Parts: sequence; C-alpha cells; structure tokens
Amino acid sequence: MPLSRTFLADLERLVGAGGLVRSHEGRLVYESDMHTFYRGAPDVVALPIRTDQVVAIVRLCRAEHVPIVPRGSGTGLIGGAMAPHGGVMIGMNRMDQILELDLPNRCATVQSGLINLSLTRAVANRGYFFAPDPSSQMVSSIGGNVATNAGGPHCLKYGITTNHVLGLELVTGTGELVRLGGKVADRPGYDLTGVAVGSEGTFGIVTAVTVRLLHAPEAVRTILASFAAIEDASEAVSAIIAAGMIPAALEMLDEMMIRAINEGSGAGYPKDAAAVLLIELDGPVGEVMAQGQRAAQICWERGALEVRVARDDVERALLWKGRKEAAGAVGRLAPTYLLQDAVVPRSKLPAIMREMIAIGARHRVRIANVFHAGDGNLHPLILYDDRDPEELERAKAANEELLHACITMGGTVTGEHGVGLDKAKNLPLQYADADLNFMYRLRRAFDPDAMMNPGKLLPSHPACGEGFRPARPRVPEGAWI
Amino acid sequence: MSVAGRSVAEAFVAIAGRDGVRSDQGARAGAAVDGQLAGLVVRPGSLEQLSQVMALAHEAGLAVVPRGSGSALELGRPPARMDVALDLRGLDRVVEYNPADVTITVEAGITVGALAARLAPHRQFLALDPPGGATRTLGGITATNASGPLRARYGTMRDLLLGVRFVQADGVVTWGGSKVVKSVSGYDVPKLMVGALGTLGVLGELTLRLHPLPDAERSWLVPLPSAEAAQTFVERVVDSSVQPNRLEYFSDRVLDAVAAGSAAAGVAVSIGSVEEAVVEGRARLAAIARAGGADIVPVPDSFWSDTERALTPSGGEALLQIASLTSRLATTQRAIVEAVGAAASGTPVWTSACAPLGTFRVRLGAADVARTAAVTNRLRAELAEIDGSVVIARGPSALRVVIDPWGPVEAGAFALMRALKDDLDPGRVLNPGRFVGGL
Repeated sequence: MPLSRTFLADLERLVGAGGLVRSHEGRLVYESDMHTFYRGAPDVVALPIRTDQVVAIVRLCRAEHVPIVPRGSGTGLIGGAMAPHGGVMIGMNRMDQILELDLPNRCATVQSGLINLSLTRAVANRGYFFAPDPSSQMVSSIGGNVATNAGGPHCLKYGITTNHVLGLELVTGTGELVRLGGKVADRPGYDLTGVAVGSEGTFGIVTAVTVRLLHAPEAVRTILASFAAIEDASEAVSAIIAAGMIPAALEMLDEMMIRAINEGSGAGYPKDAAAVLLIELDGPVGEVMAQGQRAAQICWERGALEVRVARDDVERALLWKGRKEAAGAVGRLAPTYLLQDAVVPRSKLPAIMREMIAIGARHRVRIANVFHAGDGNLHPLILYDDRDPEELERAKAANEELLHACITMGGTVTGEHGVGLDKAKNLPLQYADADLNFMYRLRRAFDPDAMMNPGKLLPSHPACGEGFRPARPRVPEGAWI
Repeated sequence: MSVAGRSVAEAFVAIAGRDGVRSDQGARAGAAVDGQLAGLVVRPGSLEQLSQVMALAHEAGLAVVPRGSGSALELGRPPARMDVALDLRGLDRVVEYNPADVTITVEAGITVGALAARLAPHRQFLALDPPGGATRTLGGITATNASGPLRARYGTMRDLLLGVRFVQADGVVTWGGSKVVKSVSGYDVPKLMVGALGTLGVLGELTLRLHPLPDAERSWLVPLPSAEAAQTFVERVVDSSVQPNRLEYFSDRVLDAVAAGSAAAGVAVSIGSVEEAVVEGRARLAAIARAGGADIVPVPDSFWSDTERALTPSGGEALLQIASLTSRLATTQRAIVEAVGAAASGTPVWTSACAPLGTFRVRLGAADVARTAAVTNRLRAELAEIDGSVVIARGPSALRVVIDPWGPVEAGAFALMRALKDDLDPGRVLNPGRFVGGL
C-alpha cells in the first residue's frame, strides 16, 4: 500500500527533507542487509537525529497502520534490517553520540547509532574496552548489536552483547519512550532489558544503550596449532576446556577453508593441515603464561603437526590474518554460499563434523568451515553457484538438513547472528507451540499491533497468532467443581 | 467458581499422591507465608505432576504460592491470597549432565549442596554463592535472583541461566532459551524468569552454565581506616590488572563479628586461577594496599561463610538490599549510618557491598516497624538521585505492610510489566500480590 501524500508530508515535518530518503535509487540502498538473498525496500527511510523524533515517527506510523523497520548499519546476516512489507524504515545512523562516559563505574551511555568500535576507541587510552566484537565491529552499530544480541570471536570468555547491556532507552510499538534498567544494577521488577536485547526490533526501537566497559587485559597470548585430522583438533578443544581454561577465543578452520586462505594472501598455514586451531588467552600475565603453556602442551599431546606461539602484536596479527580473511577467501572456491550459525553442545563437535561431511556428500555440495569451536558455534559455508538454480536447491536442502542435525544433537539454530527473516521458519524445529506462543505474547506486551519489524524473528505459525491456545494438561475428572 | 474444599483436595491427591498433599495443621503452619496459611500443601514429584497441579489450581481459581527451601519467603509483599503452598523440593533430579559441555540441566528443587556434590568430582561448580548456603534450592535462587560476593567476577543467575522449563498459570509447560552456552534463537525468555518471583510461571527445570574450579584460590582482608579509604583501594584494584573473584566491602561491625580486628572498614579479596597467577595477584594486591598505607592479611575460606552469617538477620531484624554505584561506596555507607542515626538511633547495623557493582547488603538490628520504615524511606530518597533502589529482602510482615518492600518502579516500565502479567496470568493465580506494584 503506497503511503499517502499527507503521511509523507507529516513525516517530512518531523525529520525535515534532509532526514528523508524517498527516491527509488535512494531506497534501494536499504533493500537488504548483508544477507542479500532477502530484498525488500521500504517505501520511505526516515533518519532521525533526536529521540523525540523517533517517538513522533512511531506514533504517526501507528495511527496510520504503517509498518516500521529499524535499521542500524545494515550489516546483519539474517534479513533483519530490510522491509518485506514496505513501510517506514527508521535509520539510526545519525544518532551516534556518546552521551556519558563513566569510567569510575565502568560504563557508558551511547546513542544506538554509534559504531561499536568507536566506543572502544574512545576509552582505549584509559585502558578500557567494549567487549562484544562481531566481525562487523568497524561498521556495525551498537543498536544493531543490541537488536541481534551479537556475539564475536571473544564471547567465549566475555559473553555476548546481553552480558554487557545494563540499560536501554526504548520507544515501544505504541510510541511510549521507556527506560529499562540503567547504570545502577538490580532495578526491581521483571528484567525487561534482558528480553529486549535480541528482540530484533520487534519490541520497538532502541534509542540509547547503557553498556558495561571492561578493563583491558594485561596480557594476550595467541597460539596457532595445526592438525592432520579435524577429530584431533576437536579433541584438543575439549581437552582445553576440560583443563579448566576459558580462552578468550578458540577458533577452528577446516581443510577446505585452510586451502582457500593459503591460496590467497598466504597466512602460511601448513599445507597438509586438515584443521587449524586458533587459541587466544588473555588476562593477568601469570595466568596467560601458565595456561598458554598448558594449551600448547595439550595440542602436542593430541597430535598437532605444528604449534606456533605469537611473541608480539605483529605475530599475533599474522596468526589472526587468515581467520579474518576467511569469508573473503571463500570467494575463490565458489561464487556464493549459504552461511549457517547453528550451535551444538561442545562435546558433539566431532559428531557434527562427521555428519557435515556426510550431508555435503549426500547433496553434492562443498561445505567449508570456520567456527567458534570453544562454544560449539558452527559457521559452515555451504558453497554453490548462483547461476545454477539446481545447485542452489541442493545447497538449501543441505542447509536444512544440517540445522536438523544440530537440533537433534541438542543445539540451537542461531548462536550469534539472530533469527530475522532467514531463520524464523526454523524456530518451530527448536520450540514447541507453547514456547512460540509465549514469545508471541511477550512481543504483544511491547508491540500490541505487531507493527515493529513485522515478519522477523517470530515465524508465521498458528502459535504466533491471535486466539491460539496451547494444549493444556488434563486434570483428573471428579466432582470437585 | 465454587469450590468444595475436600473434593479439590482429592483431585490434588489423584495427581500428586496421598503423600504429596497435606492439609494437616502442622504442614500448613510449616508452609505459612507472612502468617497466612494455605488450605493445602502440595508437593509434586515430577514436572508432569507440577503441570497438572497448576492446571487444576487454575481451573479451581486457587492462588498458588511456590516455595523451595523457604529461605526467601520474606522477600516481597505478603501474598494477597494463598490457597495452595506449592512445595517444589520433590523436583530434585539432575536431568542431564555431560561434564565436557560444562553445562547441567537440573530440576528446580535441587539444592545448592546436592548440585555441588554432583559437580565436585569433575572440578566444576556453579559460580553463585547467595546467602543461605547449601540447603537453598536453585529454583528459589533463580526466582529471587539471589547472589553473593562471587558476583564480582561471574555475575548473577541472569548470566548463568541458559534455558528454563516452567509451568504457566494454566498448567502449560513452556521452554525458553537453549541447552547450549550460546544461543540467540528467539526471545531471551530465561532473563524474564530470573527474579520474577514465580509470578509469570513456576520454575520446573533449569539449564545452567558451569565454570571450571580454579586450580588455586586464596583470600585476603585489607583492614582500612574508613569507608573512603576502602573506596580508594577498591577503585585502584578495579583499575589494575588484578582479576579478583570477590571484592567485597565490609563495615566495622561485620569485621568485629568475625573477629577480624577492629578496623573501621575492610575489603576482602579472593583470587582464583592457576597457582602462578594467584601468587602474582597477591603481590599486586599487597602493593596497591601498601600505596594506601594498608596491609593485606590472609584469611581462610571460612571467612566468607562467617561474614555471611554476621550479615544474616535474626527474628525481628531486617535485611535491606541497596543498589548504588562503585563511585558512591563511601557516600552510600555514610548515608546508611546517617539514616539509622536519624531514624533509628542506637540500632546496630552491619554492612557489606559487592564493591565493583556498588550493591549493598545491610542487616539492620531489631527496631520497631515505623523506625525501620523511616530508615528505608530516607535511603530511598538518598538513592533516587542516581536511580538506585532499596529493597527489603527480609523483615517482619508488619514492616512489609506499612512500606512497599520493593520501592517505586518507573511508570513506563511498570506498564509493560503489568501488561505482561495481565496477559499471562489474568486470574492472578501465581503468587498474587507479592511482586512489584502488587503484581
């Protein structure tokens, strides 16, 4: 439904002509996030610079029943910040100020459009950092990190975004500006901050975030170990965890990925390696030295071909180089890929790696792997040629089968990317009707008209619809009423 | 809905068995909350029974008050109604434990002690040390979001609860979260259940993140001449590379009670890591203390349980939980002393704080209700400036009638909480009246 002239005029009055993107070409920039598979341009993009403008836009849209899609930097991987139903997109990139730095209390309050890395840069010289470090951190916004509850390589030790969010300022689906949580801990009442983080814009739109800052670790030790078999590397991961270490990062690359990376810039991974393990420990010097030694020892014991320890920041960067180039390197293997984000219990890593090889063979697709082994978070890249529709179908089938395998092993469909449009259909794999219905009702408390980011996160499923009643247990019959 | 008492009881018996349903005076008195007696005490033996018990209570319009060990029953307002006391200690099994995953799934009625015994052989532990010790249930700790000094490093149940199976007001069994250490699949329902006092669902099963036990762990006390000196010491530690497990402030009376000398204030620190790092950490702590003219004194592990005992109120006393800020450690301590001096002069007061968070526990000696309420009000006024809070975590019923034990909740956030409660439990079956704003 095209937006009325009056509506657009009202919107322009709120944010000014410079705060609106109305042209066809202009709107195309906003038609997808980094998951370009899903496209849908909004009818108009509003770029507010103040919180009261956000409130007014939401109220205007609500009155006219126009759907709203919040957007940060558009670097999500799930088809979240795009507009399948059109409507108004609210782009938060102009609201990017640091509102308060409070180092004595180790926290900061920022507008949601602030770029993740900008915050760390603002406090690094005082010895602090903002822990969530998604690969997109140079461009992704903190509001986007909050929406997807983003992770990153170092969340094995530090936790994902939610563990670092103390409070939110949120404009709900009804256009109310509410403050949830805050600098001071333990506010009485339900932990609405906790459920709003990761709600992917379906509760409302976050305008400001209070986050915890951490003291930068004194020492970092990075170790790269290569193995002749991925089972050996998986066992090394289990042994490191069992030895009582919580590395900051514990990343694995498989054979296909190693080859792709070596053919590129040449991180110089051993040619005959079937798996590379990247281990990073950080903390007080004594702890890092002792645990680093022990981790290297474990790798040797599990049959490592080679173990390299970075002696300084230059060497450390070199060890990470290949890992950071992984997604780009895959371009040399195939024109396109489907990226998965499922998680299995860590002890199931060897089993899922075996299963993945079988699935790839069954569907005649190649699967390259680079993943957060420490927490069992897989990132298989299922390669296909998008000029061949039949190959795409096989890739999709392999993708679905892989998800099923992860769930069967006790896992989850997404570890850090989020649900969005991409995985909404997969949630019923993991949740029963009653569970989905509970989520639907939770959303309804914040956004009763379901106008915030419609079609995302919650699946189109009877349990997520009006009037659905989950099956109730039978109670004994008798004359008790 | 008209209810014929005896036949409802029979229906509960059909679900939970003869032993699982008690209506004798002894059992009812044992499960009393704020002097109110439930008509029945029901103790389901499985999640399925729990679900049926709730479905029946819901159909019969009976108010249900869930309980674990009973150690936190003085948290919150007195119940608005109480027909059934729901004893969850029968749900005490370990559902799934694979040490290699460093997670565990347990029924909510399992005790801290039973869980620890199961984990110890694998050198793992649940990184939570709330007051009340080994007999408390994990469900109770989750519902009240209780924590102790270890919070400084590991956070609270909010950071440790990965998945939760709960029973809604109408008996529907619901699962939220996941069984793996990392998941963003759907809304983070476990967060909602932590600290909700069972008002949105009765906790049945919990999947928890565990931690490896450190190789070595040692504790020290740093006696200091004032709360201001304590704050300075804390700020230096927080800003250093020392990585403490606990960093807890204690007032003079607590130190005195555990025979730790007669300093005006003290900060106790524990470090857990590999042996080399503990030794290194000790040296750094000593240097930071020396820079402030203080010494570090080794204390045994029992120091932590001793101080906890010193902070546990006895009959007629009250426990306040104050949320302030690290930068206001000394200001808040002074405000506590002044509020007591002005409103309840002569009443003894014991204080501790999780220093890196600025969250206080305050044991207030027996005083009449009006005076304790006045102390609370004064502190709330003081804390309002920073959006802090003062919650009465324990205290006589009479106190929690004359003053809201939770304190004010911001209107916008509260409207959302009420909408949620109205939707999920419109008949107010679950723990009615006890939570914030009478939810």
